[in-house]
Amino acid sequence: MTQLRKGLLELAVLNTIAPAPLYGYDIVRRLSDVDHLVITEGTVYPILSRLKNSGLVETYIEESQEGPARKYYRLTARGRDDLYRMNQHWDSLHQAIGGLRKERKR
Amino acid sequence: MIEMTPAARERLDNYLQRMRSELRGTRAVVADEVEQSVREHIEIALADAHAPVGATEVIGVLDRLGPPERWLADEERPMWRRALDHVRSAPEDWRLAYLAFGLFLASIVFLPVGGILLIIPAMIVSRAYIELSRDRGEPLGARRWLVYPSIAIVLAFAVGLLIVGPPLPALAFAFQDDGFEQVLDIPHSRAGEVRFVLGLGSVLYGSWWIIAAGFCAAFLRPIRFVFAPLLDGVRRKHFAVLAAIGALVAAGGATLIYYRH
Repeated sequence: MTQLRKGLLELAVLNTIAPAPLYGYDIVRRLSDVDHLVITEGTVYPILSRLKNSGLVETYIEESQEGPARKYYRLTARGRDDLYRMNQHWDSLHQAIGGLRKERKR
Repeated sequence: MIEMTPAARERLDNYLQRMRSELRGTRAVVADEVEQSVREHIEIALADAHAPVGATEVIGVLDRLGPPERWLADEERPMWRRALDHVRSAPEDWRLAYLAFGLFLASIVFLPVGGILLIIPAMIVSRAYIELSRDRGEPLGARRWLVYPSIAIVLAFAVGLLIVGPPLPALAFAFQDDGFEQVLDIPHSRAGEVRFVLGLGSVLYGSWWIIAAGFCAAFLRPIRFVFAPLLDGVRRKHFAVLAAIGALVAAGGATLIYYRH
């Protein structure tokens, strides 16, 4: 279950920053609103670091008027390609599992 | 930088210390980067709190972040940390055995820098563990592989010392000084010289083995206790055999010296 959640969390992080760059705290807040996804908020930061290490995500610093300077995360071109493939895989997997569940209900 | 009460600052510092320690050595993530992000997270989360921020508010933020020990998947953690956790979470009965083996390994790894000294505490811990198991009436089972090596190494060293003993430096000293050649009446022929050296060596070693056998027989119980359970089967008769061998070797040596010319 932990492994599954970890994989899903990576996918969720990538999807969260796909529309627009976000800073860490904002990513955590958005993911916390998704039920059963985030185990603890801190889990997100090692994932962001790992995604950056893998070249799927890049960062830049932007000054903020409301507090400290914030580190924004955005997808790289490679990250966008990978996310597209991962989402396709997720959709087909979701469909397949949905099919299996329907068969069981019959 | 957010102004905090000393208690809140202490809580935060402890948490960051735990996090650094947990992320250290992990190749998948950059520890400094994660720390920087977490600091930023905490600062943003506490931005609206009244200064100085108290421990309650800080604890609330840290609780939501969760324990750093649970951030990484097991396979992402460095091997040494996983091994350490394995020891920590191992059944209590195994911990002392792991400690003994760890000290034994450290004595080998740090051999060039005096690590050999660690073999003594390794052996003491091993012996303590064996006695503990005996008191509980528990068989050692597979744990013997963790506690026997340090005892075996010290025993091998002690046996080596018993066999080689003081005669070796005594012989070296005897032939170092030319004056002894006259006193000992060493023959000038090559064959005679060899006979004399072999004879003297045999006399010294034979005598030493008789003395050592007598000593070991006299103190058999403490010796068996120190090297238990490896010497549990040793009896006085074994040292009698050593003494007999020593007597034979010494007699042979004396004969060689007598017929040296």
